[in-house]
Amino acid sequence: MTERSPSKRRLHRELLSLIKEPPPGVSLDAEQIEQNLFLWTIHLEGAERTLYEGESFQLQFKFSDNYPFDSPEVIFTGEHIPIHPHVYSNGHICLSILTDDWSPALSVQSVCLSIVSMLSSCKEKQRPPDNAFYVKTCNKNPKKTKWWYHDDSV
Amino acid sequence: MLRYILSFLRIIATKMLQLLSSRKHLIENVLRIYIKTTSGSTLSIEIDPKYDIKQIKNLVASKIGAQPEELKIIFAGKELGDNIIIEECDLGQQSILHAVKIKRNVPTDQSSSKMKPLCEILDDEMFSSNITNSRSNSFSTDNEVINISNSVMLENSTIRSKKIHFYVYCPTCKDLKQGKLRVRCHFCKSGAFTVHADPQNWIHVLEPKQITGTCENNPELCKDILQNKEPTFAEFYFKCSEHISLGETDQAVPLDLIRPNLKQIQCMACLDTSDTIFAFPCPDDHVMCLDCFKQYCLTKLTERQFWQHPEYGYTLACPTGCPDSFIKEIHHFRLLDDENYNRYHHFAAEEFVLQSNGLLCPQPGCGMGILAEPECTRISCQNCKYVFCRHCRQGFHIGECDVVENNDTAGQNFSCESDMNYNNGNSGELASRTTIKIMTKPCPSCKTPTERDGGCMHMICTRAGCKFHWCWVCQTEWTTECMGDHWFG
Ligand SMILES: [Zn+2]
Ligand SMILES: [Zn+2]
Ligand SMILES: [Zn+2]
Ligand SMILES: [Zn+2]
Ligand SMILES: [Zn+2]
Ligand SMILES: [Zn+2]
Ligand SMILES: [Zn+2]
Ligand SMILES: [Zn+2]
Repeated sequence: MTERSPSKRRLHRELLSLIKEPPPGVSLDAEQIEQNLFLWTIHLEGAERTLYEGESFQLQFKFSDNYPFDSPEVIFTGEHIPIHPHVYSNGHICLSILTDDWSPALSVQSVCLSIVSMLSSCKEKQRPPDNAFYVKTCNKNPKKTKWWYHDDSV
Repeated sequence: MLRYILSFLRIIATKMLQLLSSRKHLIENVLRIYIKTTSGSTLSIEIDPKYDIKQIKNLVASKIGAQPEELKIIFAGKELGDNIIIEECDLGQQSILHAVKIKRNVPTDQSSSKMKPLCEILDDEMFSSNITNSRSNSFSTDNEVINISNSVMLENSTIRSKKIHFYVYCPTCKDLKQGKLRVRCHFCKSGAFTVHADPQNWIHVLEPKQITGTCENNPELCKDILQNKEPTFAEFYFKCSEHISLGETDQAVPLDLIRPNLKQIQCMACLDTSDTIFAFPCPDDHVMCLDCFKQYCLTKLTERQFWQHPEYGYTLACPTGCPDSFIKEIHHFRLLDDENYNRYHHFAAEEFVLQSNGLLCPQPGCGMGILAEPECTRISCQNCKYVFCRHCRQGFHIGECDVVENNDTAGQNFSCESDMNYNNGNSGELASRTTIKIMTKPCPSCKTPTERDGGCMHMICTRAGCKFHWCWVCQTEWTTECMGDHWFG
């Protein structure tokens, strides 16, 4: 048996624990992950009694060989991108734990939970004020964006 | 005929091999050690590791003309009892024992743990807690003492290996190795020294003046130096257990954050549970396996995210941001391979120069650190002889700089020789330095070369401690005007 890289070992473990005990509203496409361990699609359900109740979304996680020292690249994909002041219409998410505040102690699960709670705490569905401009000009990789983190009270 | 010669040669060859292997066998069973006596002489003796201390005393006594009962044998801060077997003492080839003549006729207390070698008394449990939150056991209350002895009994009943593991960086082997704890007098540095108490944690071992003891080498002399103002203290140090001792000055650096994984904690990065771990100095038991720790160092090094700590040097903290979790002993970064350890040194030197308000020679392939008077605008590099303008880093010129320049002192030119060039030049980086010149601009705040990764013009200095937000176009602080006008070029 060949020695697997730390990133593979880590992703494998995270995958197993997510399949075994998925947090409420989170599910994943294991078949697709089998094709490529470094690209995950995760299904999110809007939590009950929030503005997103009944809606479902897709998150895409891209990992580098250097995960978990490098943060994953996380965007919303698919037809339905949530309308939220921190989510651009191209799926990019303005969330500090995805770049500056990332730590190897965080995980796919903790990122999902942060995104769920970000959605749940929303009081008014709207796009970020600079959405049109950002989407026209941004890099494909949200991690290349030097975010000005919108204030977290939204 | 040929066949005959061949078989003859084969017989000779096997005979020689047998000879060699039996000789090797012999050597393995003989331990060559040195006995230092208080008279200053050193005896070299060959012993069987199965000898006990009584036999050693007989051997030494006959050689120095003393009675065996008059002698005590001291090793690693401990007087060894007569029935201790040499094997138990964690001696290596060419280790040094100390033989001291007893002057007073005091009966020695054979029952106490004092007569056992240090390596048999200490165990990993004591040293598994972090320096920052370990409580000293030596000043514990009676209740706690009872608890400790109970747990020792439990361990013994489950026949758990008590042997302590210390990890060191060995400058001779140039690698991470297991180490051995040794003790000497902190004044005269003599190994003929017995401790009054055993160290109970890393503070006792790493910090000076924690454990008192008796210097047997020259007690009067050591007392004189002290003028009875303070007791004589033990000084702890480490030896590599994997090469033959090169004498008393052959020391290894303790890597106290590398430990056996007693509590079976998962690596925070790969989630594996490995036998040996790197434990961050934080109270939350954040640990990494050694592979992941190396990867963490490498990642942070490449991102220039090490911190210049005023006391410890260029270092890292727990990646989850635990307070006060900086790695004190920077030799832990020796776990990086040679190339990256050189890079670490290089960056550390640059960081030192920048923090001392110095600057780095912008010439491709140079990068020499230069400390110059703040009003001096004409900087000359003593390494590559390049003479340049402090503000624009171009060749030295009279008058205004070509690029946009906001510094008040631009225009006034002071010529002076830089008083100190700080050498961090590394020819191995010639290629990367050439690209740095083309692809990067200096951070307006700290002048660290910064690369633009495509995307927008809003730069954040990557250097830990700076994080200055600036504009690639204006080369000044990032403003809302920049955002509106040329955010994306
Ligand atoms: Zn060594
Ligand atoms: Zn002394
Ligand atoms: Zn690991
Ligand atoms: Zn920590
Ligand atoms: Zn130079
Ligand atoms: Zn200039
Ligand atoms: Zn800077
Ligand atoms: Zn600008």
